[in-house]
Amino acid sequence: MVAISGEVSWFCCGNAWGPCGSAGHGACGTCNSGSLQHAWPNVSAACESITDPSACGLSLTRRACGFKHFTTNRCNGSKVGTTIADCGPNTHLFCGERTCCGSTCGTNRIVDLTPAAYSKIASLSTGLRPCSVDTS
Amino acid sequence: MLQFIAALQPLVIGAVLIWSARVKLSRRQAAANASRSALAPLIGERRALPAYRVLGVVELAIGILLVLPPALAVEAAAATALAAGFTAYLYYAHTHAPDASCGCMSSRRTPVSWRGFARAGLLVVAGLFATLVPAGWPHAFATNAPAGGGLLLAELALVITLSPELDGEWLLPLRRLRARLTHPLTGGTGVPLLSTVQQLQQSPAYRQVASALTSDVREHWDEGEWRFVSQSARYRGRPAVAVFAAPLDGYQPEAVRVAVLDDATGVTVFASGSAADPPFRAYAGG
Amino acid sequence: MTNTIDRRRLLATAVLGGAGIVGATALGSLVPEAAFAADPVDVEPGAVDPNFAEGRITGISGATLFVTGSDTVLHSIRVTDGTSIWKLQPTTFDRIAVGDGLYARGLRLADGTLAADAIWVDIVNVHAHLTNLGRNVMHLDHRGQPIVAHVIPGVTAAVYNGTPAVSDVSLLKVGQHVQVIGAWHPDTNEIDVATVYAAVQ
Repeated sequence: MVAISGEVSWFCCGNAWGPCGSAGHGACGTCNSGSLQHAWPNVSAACESITDPSACGLSLTRRACGFKHFTTNRCNGSKVGTTIADCGPNTHLFCGERTCCGSTCGTNRIVDLTPAAYSKIASLSTGLRPCSVDTS
Repeated sequence: MLQFIAALQPLVIGAVLIWSARVKLSRRQAAANASRSALAPLIGERRALPAYRVLGVVELAIGILLVLPPALAVEAAAATALAAGFTAYLYYAHTHAPDASCGCMSSRRTPVSWRGFARAGLLVVAGLFATLVPAGWPHAFATNAPAGGGLLLAELALVITLSPELDGEWLLPLRRLRARLTHPLTGGTGVPLLSTVQQLQQSPAYRQVASALTSDVREHWDEGEWRFVSQSARYRGRPAVAVFAAPLDGYQPEAVRVAVLDDATGVTVFASGSAADPPFRAYAGG
Repeated sequence: MTNTIDRRRLLATAVLGGAGIVGATALGSLVPEAAFAADPVDVEPGAVDPNFAEGRITGISGATLFVTGSDTVLHSIRVTDGTSIWKLQPTTFDRIAVGDGLYARGLRLADGTLAADAIWVDIVNVHAHLTNLGRNVMHLDHRGQPIVAHVIPGVTAAVYNGTPAVSDVSLLKVGQHVQVIGAWHPDTNEIDVATVYAAVQ
């Protein structure tokens, strides 16, 4: 797979505190905020119909729960490996949104990381970073 | 009077059923709606779409029968049974699949709420009324068209008010208008901290030390034309503090400067912008 | 470096001064990348990260936070001068309270304690629809649940279409989708807004 560029954000799962209390363990039933996991927009046909990345002109390969992706924060080069545990982000709701670091930009939300994974490569308070996603 | 009101109920129920059927029989959205609804956990993913479509056909048939004269009690009874069954479905969805969309009056994803229950209840009551007091709507309109039209519109408006899926058509525009007139979000002034953080994360200075940073922003303060932001770092295995200086006046990532100091001794171990600064190639992948 | 004013003066002089940097020339032969390289700690993708903790604070003793995770695991989290603390904005240890939720990243020590590098208290990242606006209040619909989000003048920032953050939040429109980073008020459905991300036409 050729690395895909876009934006990365974070989400919580696993019946944790706050608004996450009703989140459950995600579409795969295994998601936890403290694990190195992520949500992918094309985990199944039902998932893809909700996230609709094609509305933003994106074609993302369908991957099953547990599949490994590696996300790089293009602002500082740090990288984290995670497995798919949920369906998301809702790509079509932010079509064309761009986040940049210098001349490095990412357009469209393509991956959501758990707090454990996101905090490995960026600060949770930033909320959104340009990224690239690869399978190694 | 009772007959007058009862005569109009089939029109209300019929209109709702036909509108609801339209959503279910629309080829584009039906598959997505069915899979997002509580039908999938109720009868299985495979049967959800066929059941959804069959329900749409039933709704359309009953709706058309209700709207077209003559007004038969059996038609109203069928509609009442349908509404009662729908109320039971809403209860199942609310308790067993709270995240599921209603899949009712629009393709918009709308979890079941008290408004959905109220609407279903309204249709059950309307249906019972029409069943027990069958009367034809053409006669009612012939008797008093303005009153008939007014009552019909009022009931349909009530149904719309109880339909969260349709909020985007009337409620949100009203709220937008109110916001335009009252400007409720005053917020604040000045440069938000996030703007400074974005600025420094876009700067060449940041990329020189990014891999050494170990914390989020620890403290920040403004002095003169600069905002200072400090974060923890590690330099050769020792705790250090990285301090950035970003200009407050304007967004200029190139003007951001950074220094790294040993936490224990206060000695500056690195500073950007000095003559001793070696040429630096940022992380791979820029 | 204990006195805040002296400390800030030292830091400001270091970053703006540029002259008299003791020790830099002695270390000049070392390529900055190597000097700054972080120790790689490999955690298997998909696994629970031992250097991260999440949960609610059930006790505070000295500089240690006792946290119960959502998986009922108990954590002891040690806070030092080098730990960054976020609670709506960068803040100090005394603002942390029992009952707060948190995420913490740091280094798991041999005794099981997590030495925290960064703590985010009550931080939430909510994707929601903006259903109504009140005086400095945004009413959000988050997966069918209502959330009341308070705009805090001087703190709340807005990012429109990914452009630099501004303090003007008035461009938000009822009905649009937003992403909100905020601080949760424990045991309520209310949050204070740190940042709201939105697309505007």
